[in-house]
Amino acid sequence: MSFYLTYFAIGIGLFAFSAVFALVGVYAERKVSAFIQDRLGPTETGKFGMLQTLADGLKLIQKELIVPTAADKLLFIMAPAIIFIAVYMGFAAMPWGPGLVPTSLNLGLYYVFAIISIETLGILMAGWGSNNKYSILGSMRSVAQIISYEIPAGFAIISVVMIAQSLNMQTIATQQGILSTEGVKFFGFWDVSKIGGIFAWNIFRAPHLLIAFVIYFIASLAESNRAPFDIPEAESELVAGFHTEYTGMRFAFVFFSEYSMMFLVSMISVVLFLGAWNTPLPNIGAVHLADWTTGNGWGIIWILIKSLALVGIQMWIRWTLPRLRVDQLMSLCWKVLTPLAFACMLISGIWRVFLM
Amino acid sequence: MNLVQMLFYVMAFITLASAIFVAVSKTLVRSIFMFFITLFAFAGLYVLALADFVAITQIVIYVGGILVLILFAFMLSGRETLDALQKQKNQFISANKVAALFLAAIFFIVLLNMVLKVDADHLPWITNAIKTNNVITPTSITTDNIGINLMTRYLLPFEAISILLMMALVGAAHLSRKEQTL
Repeated sequence: MSFYLTYFAIGIGLFAFSAVFALVGVYAERKVSAFIQDRLGPTETGKFGMLQTLADGLKLIQKELIVPTAADKLLFIMAPAIIFIAVYMGFAAMPWGPGLVPTSLNLGLYYVFAIISIETLGILMAGWGSNNKYSILGSMRSVAQIISYEIPAGFAIISVVMIAQSLNMQTIATQQGILSTEGVKFFGFWDVSKIGGIFAWNIFRAPHLLIAFVIYFIASLAESNRAPFDIPEAESELVAGFHTEYTGMRFAFVFFSEYSMMFLVSMISVVLFLGAWNTPLPNIGAVHLADWTTGNGWGIIWILIKSLALVGIQMWIRWTLPRLRVDQLMSLCWKVLTPLAFACMLISGIWRVFLM
Repeated sequence: MNLVQMLFYVMAFITLASAIFVAVSKTLVRSIFMFFITLFAFAGLYVLALADFVAITQIVIYVGGILVLILFAFMLSGRETLDALQKQKNQFISANKVAALFLAAIFFIVLLNMVLKVDADHLPWITNAIKTNNVITPTSITTDNIGINLMTRYLLPFEAISILLMMALVGAAHLSRKEQTL
């Protein structure tokens, strides 16, 4: 029965990770935004304001949970839980190291893609349950946006799957480094199976995957409702979008899921395009940097550094770019990203057949 | 009773109970959200039948696509039409339900007949498959099998469906286009 204990431990560990990440993420977001806007950000609570998010959390726990009189109570109460669970379940299939993956599903990537799409249902539930026009407008905008951007994201993913020939995230991760068994070629001509490092990452195995990576990154910004795609919670038009009516811990759960989603989509792009838990350092002659820096401990460190770097870029973009209008958003998705993603898929097929 | 059987009964109970709720509930939105639970329990049943690809496809297409579209249609329609829908007389047996009841009864008889007549444990193709070891185990990869079969044995139906889908897409694009005066 002891393996059941392991399952529970992993589940609780992932939950604790997403909670801690939300705390650190909110603090980082406030400091980054302050830096970009030439302010100081939180400074009072703790050294450099580091306890600020902890204090915010304490405040949120103490707050009263208000349910509006006209709300559909059941849907209103269930929505934040569904939004959070949808994101949290996605972490089940993510690989953290060469032998370190919560569940090594052979359909892992497809599963993550499916489970993320459930979030839209939770958002609609929150919007309808609140019985508030801002909430429902926000949730409908959010869902329209997420459904549209799932198409370029899906085709960018398919172009990786066609190169990797597997839906198992651990297999995709293993192929991008020195542990690969099928041989890795840099740009299709230079055999780097023994060199590894940054040259073996998917974006360098096939150059068009670099475009696919950018497409997936833009689509993932839209899927996690981050600026410049944050019209669902456009403060100047919709108060706070679909979570206008939420207070206390329910609001905290909506917030948790936004930050977990940021990390999850960054981790997916790292696994698919940026070498997953593989080291960026190549073997150079007698200096076997790649051999020395591959392992379970190193794996966790590399994947954390890469994912956090992408989260950092997401924050940077949020505080730099203005919000897109709805029609601009849709024409970007359907007229630019979707045709490009189709082209990537086509090139992937040709690349796999003739160059690998 | 082992764990798999227990899980099967739990899933089956959730499916049936939520499906009954969908049919009986007076508030339309709640029944749509309850339908989500039905579909999820269905996906669980597929997983128990070792059809994991079908299970996840069910979630992607039905939960992520169709259910959200139903909700969209629901939210875009005005409150008056919805109120009119909900104020319908809700008698269990009435004259305008005779056709539906008749259809349901016939379908039920067909199903019952099939369940009673078929000897599910000793079907010839199943015994044959077990004899030749042509079975799917919990560790085997099912997607390869599906892909190869779609591209060889079932290529014609596959292509027919893709043409049908393309026709539907072209039709949808045509319908949603603004009328232009030439």
